[in-house]
Amino acid sequence: MHQLVSPFLDNPFLQRSLLAGFLVAVACSVAGTFMVLRGLAFLADALAHGVLPGVAGALLLGAPGVLGAAVGAAAMIAGVNLITSRSRLSSDTAIGLLFVGMLGLGIVMVSRSSSFSGDVVGILFGEILGVSRRDLLQQAIALAVVLSIARVFARPFLLLCFDPEQADMAGWPARRLELLMLTMVTVCVVMSFQTVGTLLVFGMLLAPAGTGALLARRVPAMMAWAALLGCASVYVGLLLSYHFDLAAGAAVVVVAVGMFFVVFAVQSAQQAVSGRRADRSAVAA
Amino acid sequence: MISARRALAASLPLLSLLAACGGDGGGSSGSGGERPTVVVTYAVLGAVVSEVVGDRGEVVVLMPNGTDPHEWSPSAKDVEAMRSADLIVANGLGLESNLQDPLAEAEEAGVAVFTVADHVTVRTVEEGAEHSDTEHDDAGEEHHDHGPEDPHLWMDPLTMKEWVGPFADAMKAAGADVGAGAEQLEAALDRLNGEVEAIVEEIPAAKRTLVTGHESMGYFADRYGFRLIGAVVPSITSQAEVSAGELADLKEKIDESGVSAIYTELGTPKATVDALADDAGVTVIELSTHTLPEDGTYRSFLLDVAETIAGGLR
Repeated sequence: MHQLVSPFLDNPFLQRSLLAGFLVAVACSVAGTFMVLRGLAFLADALAHGVLPGVAGALLLGAPGVLGAAVGAAAMIAGVNLITSRSRLSSDTAIGLLFVGMLGLGIVMVSRSSSFSGDVVGILFGEILGVSRRDLLQQAIALAVVLSIARVFARPFLLLCFDPEQADMAGWPARRLELLMLTMVTVCVVMSFQTVGTLLVFGMLLAPAGTGALLARRVPAMMAWAALLGCASVYVGLLLSYHFDLAAGAAVVVVAVGMFFVVFAVQSAQQAVSGRRADRSAVAA
Repeated sequence: MISARRALAASLPLLSLLAACGGDGGGSSGSGGERPTVVVTYAVLGAVVSEVVGDRGEVVVLMPNGTDPHEWSPSAKDVEAMRSADLIVANGLGLESNLQDPLAEAEEAGVAVFTVADHVTVRTVEEGAEHSDTEHDDAGEEHHDHGPEDPHLWMDPLTMKEWVGPFADAMKAAGADVGAGAEQLEAALDRLNGEVEAIVEEIPAAKRTLVTGHESMGYFADRYGFRLIGAVVPSITSQAEVSAGELADLKEKIDESGVSAIYTELGTPKATVDALADDAGVTVIELSTHTLPEDGTYRSFLLDVAETIAGGLR
């Protein structure tokens, strides 16, 4: 028992990491569930890595990294939209193009600049162990923005996920709604990358929401599961990082994805057993 | 193109010999006609090489000053420069992690490679060795029983002095006599050692303790009697990731030893250090362990490091 709480009681920096992780997990549970239901995971992944040139550019110009990340994300979404609306190419081609293009551009910018002081690994993996009070405030704002968008547009978002045509008839064109949903995902990515890194944000958007979708049928329940599992993976990941000297951010992601596979395996086993039982009862009848 | 240049380079010693015979009879033999091109991987080494070579050769530095060697990758032009060089100077011990293949290829193609680490007494890391083992496997280094070898040999002027002589020999083989420059530099490094000692004297012996970004100050600490308390990233490369456990350990060590400052470097996770310093009640000071100062000389580089440390611990 002592080993489960004392690391956090003894180290204020770990308390801040835990709190920041919880804020990210809750925001991501809401945005992530919509993202998973609408099938936007690849785009979100691309967003998470595509912000790199924006961040690098901002740091080179001495501007805040969040601003650069927002510009990078906007450029990414605009590019994908432009290609899918003006050509016959499918969206995964457009996303992939922008994804590698932006990532490559970021690396090129970093590698040829002698004044670059931030590092690429830091942007991708973040510094969950280096959370300041200002970071916590920023994370709380991000959470509030995401929750407000989700609250106001709950119905149209649900329609978009399950019945896009009806959403269209109700006066909600799918393209515009999807853009709004992406904005919500972008807020999560942009506001959280400095705290936890883009890789961890994407992990927190995807893994708990995916597990929630396995466990529940109704959307609010999915989100509740996602928030719970997200917070649990933050706590367990940080604890593992403490006791076994593991990279903190990566440990959290691995735990979150691990939970998905545990739930998935248990459900598959259950289905196999109940399937066999159904077979047997059919034979008996 | 490359082969034409290489042919030229190969005939260089011959040319200079001819020049020496026909000219003023000895003395300035190496400087006749074409000057050899020396490609140096790392800026701090480049500063020293430039001092030795002077105008008897052309010195090209690959990694721009101030870049983290682990974050940098060579461009096509860099690889070409290596291929057409008369001599390549590399640090070794995994510092050129993204240059391993081009270096091996250039060597295979017949370019002479001078690896600094082969000519100095290499320090091995005792503390934190178990943390850095895994990620150094891919750097293709030999492993000894006593932990990984520390590549930061430029942090001690006397270690730097060790390779100046062998480097002059390598330059001779490449067609330039830099003996005079080498002797001057050896004397200058001795003087520099004295200057650093004088700065360090100002720090009370009990306060000679260091907490740094990664384990980069080993050579300096060994030479000038500092105790290494720990590093934010307990590894000899800045590439490793921080764990909560190691960070909590470091905080405890800082509390126990009464250190007043954490020295951050290139590639140190800034927010993490700030959070740690905030909790431990110490100041954060930036230390240029991998970047040359404005005048680009090794002397001001090392004096800068010594002054910064003395300023934080006095």
